Amino acid sequence: MATEIRTPGTLPPLPPYVPPGGPRRPPRRRRTGESLSTWRYGDRVAFALCWACGLALCLIAAAIVVYLGVRGVQYLTFTLLTTHPEAGLDQAKTGGFLDPIVGTVLLTVIGIAIATPIAVGTAVWIVEYGRPSAFARAVESGIEIVAGTPDIVIAIFGLALFQQHLFAPLSLTADGGAVFGRSFMTAGAMMSLIALPMVFGTTREGLQAVPAHVREASYGLGKTRIATIRRVLLPSVRSNISTGMALGMGRICGDTAVVIVLLGATLRLESEGSIPGFNALKGTGSTLTSYVYNNSPAGEGNAPQKAYAAAFVLLLIVVALNLAVDVIARRGSQTGLQNGRLGA
Amino acid sequence: MNPVRRLGVGAVAVAVLGTAVPATASAAPVITMSGSTSVAPLASLLAKGYLKDRRLKGKLKFKLAQGGSDVGVADVAAGRVSIGNSSRDPKDSDSGVVFNKIAKDAICLITNPANRLPNLTQNQIKSIFSGDVRNWEDVPGSTVSGPIDLTVRTAASGTQDAFQKIFLGPTKLSPIASAKSSNGLVQQTVKGNKNAIGYVSQDFTSGVNAPAYAGVSCNLANAKSGQYGGVRSFYMVTRGAARGGTKKFISWVQGSKVAQKIIATHWVPLR
Amino acid sequence: MLERLRAPWSDRRAERVLGALASLVLLVIALMIVFVAVKAWPTLRNNHLIGWLGFGGDVDAQISDQVNGVGRGGDQFAINAGPLIYATVLTTAVAVVVGLAFALFSAIFIVEFAPPRLRRVIVPVVRLLAAVPSVIYGLIGILVLAPFVNDHLLPDGRKRSVEYVVQLSGTSLLVATLVLTVMITPIMIAIITDALYSVPKSWTEGAVALGVNRWRATWTVSVRAARPAIIAAAVLATARALGEGIMLSMVSGGRGFSPNPLDGLSFLFEPLRPLAATIVENVESLNAPAIRSSVYAFALLLLLSSFALSVGGYIAKQPMKKYGIRV
Repeated sequence: MATEIRTPGTLPPLPPYVPPGGPRRPPRRRRTGESLSTWRYGDRVAFALCWACGLALCLIAAAIVVYLGVRGVQYLTFTLLTTHPEAGLDQAKTGGFLDPIVGTVLLTVIGIAIATPIAVGTAVWIVEYGRPSAFARAVESGIEIVAGTPDIVIAIFGLALFQQHLFAPLSLTADGGAVFGRSFMTAGAMMSLIALPMVFGTTREGLQAVPAHVREASYGLGKTRIATIRRVLLPSVRSNISTGMALGMGRICGDTAVVIVLLGATLRLESEGSIPGFNALKGTGSTLTSYVYNNSPAGEGNAPQKAYAAAFVLLLIVVALNLAVDVIARRGSQTGLQNGRLGA
Repeated sequence: MNPVRRLGVGAVAVAVLGTAVPATASAAPVITMSGSTSVAPLASLLAKGYLKDRRLKGKLKFKLAQGGSDVGVADVAAGRVSIGNSSRDPKDSDSGVVFNKIAKDAICLITNPANRLPNLTQNQIKSIFSGDVRNWEDVPGSTVSGPIDLTVRTAASGTQDAFQKIFLGPTKLSPIASAKSSNGLVQQTVKGNKNAIGYVSQDFTSGVNAPAYAGVSCNLANAKSGQYGGVRSFYMVTRGAARGGTKKFISWVQGSKVAQKIIATHWVPLR
Repeated sequence: MLERLRAPWSDRRAERVLGALASLVLLVIALMIVFVAVKAWPTLRNNHLIGWLGFGGDVDAQISDQVNGVGRGGDQFAINAGPLIYATVLTTAVAVVVGLAFALFSAIFIVEFAPPRLRRVIVPVVRLLAAVPSVIYGLIGILVLAPFVNDHLLPDGRKRSVEYVVQLSGTSLLVATLVLTVMITPIMIAIITDALYSVPKSWTEGAVALGVNRWRATWTVSVRAARPAIIAAAVLATARALGEGIMLSMVSGGRGFSPNPLDGLSFLFEPLRPLAATIVENVESLNAPAIRSSVYAFALLLLLSSFALSVGGYIAKQPMKKYGIRV
């Protein structure tokens, strides 16, 4: 073919490029890295063990959650959530658990309200002041001891403590003159001991993570130490405090021993005295945990259906608190002064 | 905190406490009771019946706490409550308190539904529960074979105390018996184990076989007529002799026809 | 007056107030130890301070005598809590050892080998499991596991072989230890996972660059660096296992019996009752003086052991300080 002169712009479209060997296939995903065959025998056993443990963990977790969910949905009815419990004989047919739910909420609020100021104050003191240092170490070890104490020991300590006459205003005093010693106030005080290490731990971690230059900047501007704490440090560890509070509330919700010993074991909320509001605190009641315990075969309630329903509600509350912890922690890591990032 | 947030926090606090506070906050006299969980249903029905019968609604309040017979007796001895509910008999160590009998309750022996044992005499019960007889083959009338699994209550239980006094007498309980802490646990254990035998309060006999005791079957009618031998007493314990409002309540429970009718629904009245 | 409070505080006043709060905490803790020790004193005095820790006699019979107020004078305080202590040590040790191994391998799985979608699900689930109340574990144990073991795993012949000594049933060492392990493992997994994540990636990448396979890199570098956290997790889990009363009182069989490993397979089905479960079951009889001081003596023992545990954990972490790992 003689060479033809083609003017630009009139070239016919070229056929699509096909590389030799056929059309280009999308590259197959090759497993990068090593294959298991290059590993030593012991390492292969360990690998299998890891997978076995991981799968077993998933199975157990799924089994617990699914079983409680199935049983809970099976037995939970709306009337159970809104009727008061009755001390009837045939527990399977009478009454619900409205009062235990209110009792759980009330006790959690009291416990965390007492624990948070004390825990935050102590954490601030230890991180910012901490003199004399032996005393500071003693306080830290003390809080570790409380964290490791069994809840039943804290409960019987509370019983011994609050039956002294000094604490008469906290619970009812009978006409015999002795102090009953068991009420929401006393149980709440012991619950605060249980939640204290959680709030203390997270607050202390948060305060220690605030870099020194933030404090130095504040001192450089002429603020006193307490003003720095109030205006700069505490707002920046807000998310840590909230995480600790949510963790503490989860622990309070789940505690049974203190409730059984210190809450007076009345099925309904009975208030005591005549000051509105405060009389509920001085009175007795029950919570979801003691309700589950009493209705399981270990107690006298003899109604496992109600125990399952109450356990399901309790699990939902714990799940909600856990979600709150996750949300707060995630939001807090994006803001705040820790890790050297400045920002609101 | 800005004023709006402060208002919000205050509203939440009031709402939480408000749902917890019953409507009335008057200074009505209160009778406080604490003690046995087996007596609690009866005490609650009696309290409601008393308020209705004497038309004292609003003029008297009852508070019912549980915690166990020992807790009730200890509370009333120390003066922490007005009445202690007890399902066990007085012990030697109980001083300064008066046990007022208010009702009776039957204790039934129970075996697994697979073991349709029809009857047990007192001697048989003594030899089984003291450990002399170990196998079901040696018990006439049993329909299972194998070792006998004894299920009893813990030492603090009033039911255990009553069982020892009424059924065993001076015979000591076998040390290998498995002690459970509630009627429900005994019932569940016996339901799940075909070699088990135990004893429970009369309301816990659903789903298990209850053999007759000395020829008399264990039900409410026989207990009321007095034929059934295994009944124990419920008490309302007071510090010293009952006084004032407590005395009126207890004499109503022990005397009035309305109270006896309430007790007769599930328990054995005194008359 | 409010104006005086709202005016800026001086540092000295703030330090004093906050120090008072801290000393309030210390005061409460000291009060707790003092109260428990004072109430436990009759038992300690009448049993030569540590004589009650040994074996001898049937501890259940001794407890029921104390509840019923049998005996007078110094004799009523006699108790030999050996079987209870042995039960506590047995369940705790088995649960912590098995749980720690399980938690370690699960944590390595989560950090290294798990597919990303599975990892996103399993981490919150583990944290949820760590927060489930113990009474729910007890409920599942007593309504599901114990009847299952009783009906399907416990043959009649085995029961008959030990019928003269003890009754075997579903509520036993096996179920108690199993539920306890499941209860304490999620906490350990959560702590160890966090620690493994916080090891700098450059360390493991350096090992992999030298040709080490993934498992060996994780094991020799990350796990070694996370040793303080593993010890902290073990200490936390041990404290929780020691103090677990409610769940164990529901599933552990309720008899103060010492399971004997020489019994072979029956060992797994024998009942037992750890210290905390004994306290829970006897908490309603606290007015009788003998049982009261016994219960407070058990509580004192638990307190002292949790104290010894934190001291032990501190000592175990000391040798690791020299590698610059943050302890």
